[in-house]
Amino acid sequence: MRRAERAVLTALALLLVAALVGRLYTRGGPYFERPETIVDHVGPGKHELRDALILLPKVRPLLPRGAEVTCFRPVNGWAPEGDTVNFFAAVGQLPYQNVVPPFTAMFHVRRENLAEYVVAVRDPFAHPAYKELAAFPEGRLYRVQR
Amino acid sequence: MKDVLWVLGIVLVTGFGLVTWRIPLVRGLDLGARIAIAFAGGCVVLAVLMFGFALVHVPFTRVTLLIALVVFAALAPLTRRFAPPSPRTAGRGVFAAILALTAYGLLTARETCADLVYFWGPKGQRFYFAETIDVAFLSFPHYSLMHPDYPPLLPLVYAFAASIAHGFSWWGALFTMLLLLLATTLAFRGLAREALGDERASAYAVLLAALLAYGYARSMVAGAGEPMLLLFETIAIAALTFRDDGELLAAIALAGAAWTKVEGTAFVAIVVVAYIVTRRRVVRAVALAAPAIVLVGSWLLFAREHKFLDQYARAGETMHLENLGKVLGATARQASYGAFYLPWLAGAVPFAFAKNWRRAMLPLLVFGGLVASAIYFYLHDNAPLWWIESSAERVLLSALMTLLVAAAAASE
Repeated sequence: MRRAERAVLTALALLLVAALVGRLYTRGGPYFERPETIVDHVGPGKHELRDALILLPKVRPLLPRGAEVTCFRPVNGWAPEGDTVNFFAAVGQLPYQNVVPPFTAMFHVRRENLAEYVVAVRDPFAHPAYKELAAFPEGRLYRVQR
Repeated sequence: MKDVLWVLGIVLVTGFGLVTWRIPLVRGLDLGARIAIAFAGGCVVLAVLMFGFALVHVPFTRVTLLIALVVFAALAPLTRRFAPPSPRTAGRGVFAAILALTAYGLLTARETCADLVYFWGPKGQRFYFAETIDVAFLSFPHYSLMHPDYPPLLPLVYAFAASIAHGFSWWGALFTMLLLLLATTLAFRGLAREALGDERASAYAVLLAALLAYGYARSMVAGAGEPMLLLFETIAIAALTFRDDGELLAAIALAGAAWTKVEGTAFVAIVVVAYIVTRRRVVRAVALAAPAIVLVGSWLLFAREHKFLDQYARAGETMHLENLGKVLGATARQASYGAFYLPWLAGAVPFAFAKNWRRAMLPLLVFGGLVASAIYFYLHDNAPLWWIESSAERVLLSALMTLLVAAAAASE
């Protein structure tokens, strides 16, 4: 192998390593602390999944096995029709429960058909049929009153 | 402790693939390459085995899976001698730095793919809890955005690790990417060594590791299917490019690629066409694709039977050629990888030392096919910009890898 070829290959590898260092650095600090969630430094800002990934393990022990539960960030105090981010996060984080879509807690759903539990991320949930069971900095847990 | 056991579970998958050491090509490789190929082969064997278990209603438990592991490990020719290890070369320090930086990026949550949270993880976890491929979960209509008919290899490997650890480890799923990067590099070096010599094979392996490490960090694929897909694709391309006896190993790797991601099926088709063009052996080309065809066909039949066909059922969508300019522009912008196209330069500049264009033909054809297929798929979306912005960096990783393999082959 010629010296020039080796030098070029090494230089390219080092440039990529430098780019990798730059990429990791720009994900933001703190740089040597154990992150709380697996998305803490995915971007320089706060990731849309972060609150759900902190909140859901906290509400998990409060939910019975097999309970029907939905998870979303309320819009103006109400359940949105869809919230892919928080709903799918709940599917993975609540493996012992039956996670249903956010529209099962919308205002027009008949009381007997409402999801039994609601995990409201960040903002409070104002549906009159639900009672707050627990509150955390990242959100709240509610249960329907039948 | 659960995280450590989970990663140990991933390492244990290698035991299912030790049987690949019976392949004459693999028998002649150094230990690192043999272990890497055993790991890749183990993922294929394990996924097929678990799929078989699901079909005949044998539950995925520690006992059933470990008994199977012992049976497969017993078939391995463990007493045969390895090829001597590669001599120490100057690139080892750079390689160690790449692995250390990647480990740092993973453990500080800088490379996580959101799809791990959205569907790769939940599927693996659900298969573990259900002790089978949970068709009720996959066919639940409100989970359709989880791509229920996506090939099952990665969730099944995750379910195996969860069985070993008695629980799902999100951090373990992230850390798996480091093992996959290591395995990809070692497999490439081992397969290229005979054709390129120790020093050149090692130098290109380090460059490949650097390229993939940056590409993975930039496109954030930790926990998702791409690192596994790239392992299979690299083994397939390297086996066909650098070895005259690489067809059997390539066929296994192609089957793994097709069972990891939908893109893997397109990769198999492109490789088969490139193989026919460069080798002019149609029967061997069919044999090369046969395991992939059988696996994908079985999975599609299974999905159709249980009514969760989704992505594969969209094959008939119309093409929007009017979007060509928009698609090319957006893909070209994403292809810069935020580094002034450095990854492409890393694949292209070594061609300055090209001597053997004939050996490079197959990976070059595959490279062209992969770029063309990415554009082709993007043209099937009416409003493709969001899709391109969220996926092009990941999709083009395969093309980058083949370009570098072609450069290495041409340098012989």
